[in-house]
Amino acid sequence: MPELANQADLAHLHLLLNHFPTIGTILGLGLLLLAFIRKNDHLKKVSLEVMFLIALATMPVYVSGQAAAEALKGQAGVSADAIALHNDAALGSFIMMEITGFFAWLTLWRIRRVGRPTTGLTYTVLVLSVLTAAAVARAANMGGDIRHPEIEGGQYSGLFGAAAAPGSGFISAAGIKDFVLQHPFVWPTCETLHFLGMSLMFGVLMIVNLRLLGFLRGMSFASVHRLLPFGLIGFGINFITGMFFFIAASEQYTQNVAFHYKVVLLMLAGVSYLVLTVYDEAWALPASADAPLSGKLLGGSALVLAVGVMYFGRMLPFIGNAF
Amino acid sequence: MLTSLEQSAFSTWLLSSNSIWAYPTVLTLHTFGMMVLVGAALMIDLRLLGFGRGIPLQSMDRLFRVMWVAFALNAVTGTMLFVADASKRGPSLIFWTKLAFVALGLVMAVLIRRRNFEGSAETVVISGAAKRLAIVSLLAWSAAITAGRLLAYVA
Repeated sequence: MPELANQADLAHLHLLLNHFPTIGTILGLGLLLLAFIRKNDHLKKVSLEVMFLIALATMPVYVSGQAAAEALKGQAGVSADAIALHNDAALGSFIMMEITGFFAWLTLWRIRRVGRPTTGLTYTVLVLSVLTAAAVARAANMGGDIRHPEIEGGQYSGLFGAAAAPGSGFISAAGIKDFVLQHPFVWPTCETLHFLGMSLMFGVLMIVNLRLLGFLRGMSFASVHRLLPFGLIGFGINFITGMFFFIAASEQYTQNVAFHYKVVLLMLAGVSYLVLTVYDEAWALPASADAPLSGKLLGGSALVLAVGVMYFGRMLPFIGNAF
Repeated sequence: MLTSLEQSAFSTWLLSSNSIWAYPTVLTLHTFGMMVLVGAALMIDLRLLGFGRGIPLQSMDRLFRVMWVAFALNAVTGTMLFVADASKRGPSLIFWTKLAFVALGLVMAVLIRRRNFEGSAETVVISGAAKRLAIVSLLAWSAAITAGRLLAYVA
């Protein structure tokens, strides 16, 4: 299995990627506000798509951050407390970001079904985006405090929580780690839920994509589109349980090439899920009609990506060292 | 007998070969089969419980074939995994509990198909009995997965 990145590469990647959530959320929020001012439904859709994609792009940012922390550990002039504080803030903003991404997706799904943005959901995304932008900016600022000698002692250095102790906030990565590792029932319970979530997600992907590929006839695309939220519920279960694994034993994932492949494929699978949700040509397909070539390519790639995510997940202990 | 199974050349190869095509691949195929089998069953159950009403029941009939193919894959890979670990799995209550729930899930699939799919006319109103079968099916597969996962953690 060719390596995608070593630890130093991942630390570098974190420094490159960590601007995406901050800038992306502000961009998505700006577009959404503009869409409200201009009363432009198409622009609302675009801004929701941006939000969903940024939520996907935040995954490698959080994950590579753990690798960066491990690379910095024990180096002179680096405060472990500053890293822990940034980690907690980043985790909180990551969770906010994924909730916002989920609601952005749900709004897009509703738009596809009713033909226009529904007020309640769109405003929910707006409020969540504002909160997420604030949380991400706070986490980014605290990240900047870890090792930027040029700003130390400056007006904005230590702007947030300089006096706070790590783990004292609402969300504590160390607290979650202790919870998972100290209770022997947590890991097997999360594993069981992870497998159930996977089956639910794959069931939905199977019915939607086999329809597009032409193996399941006699159902309109609109009728199987109705099941897409169950797939995202499955993903939600697996995101939460997966985060428990990652936080509790991050070293066995950050340096595990199977995990790197899994995250990359997961992001691509997320993009294909978005396309399935908003895809115009397929939406109009009546029960008996064959999907166009683009639909078949989409269906085929979505299934391959999902199986790939499962494969690298199952291979974590064999290609890498996860338990 | 369980011990002799476990000490067979096949078991030794499956467990102690360093090849990725041995234990890791068999286990991954077992996981794949599970995901397909349970995924298809869950979709049929959800439809019977009233989600995705726009999907004609008859059009889902092919999913039963998908389920049987996936079950065949898992019967084969499952037997391989059992043989490799026979003296541990054989007396394990969790293992036989898992098999019992798999059997229950399969029986539910047969009953659901017989009662709702094997008519010439499309079933429009889903009966209470069909919904109860769907709930038992959901619970059976969840329990089978739970027991299967526990096998990896409870010696």
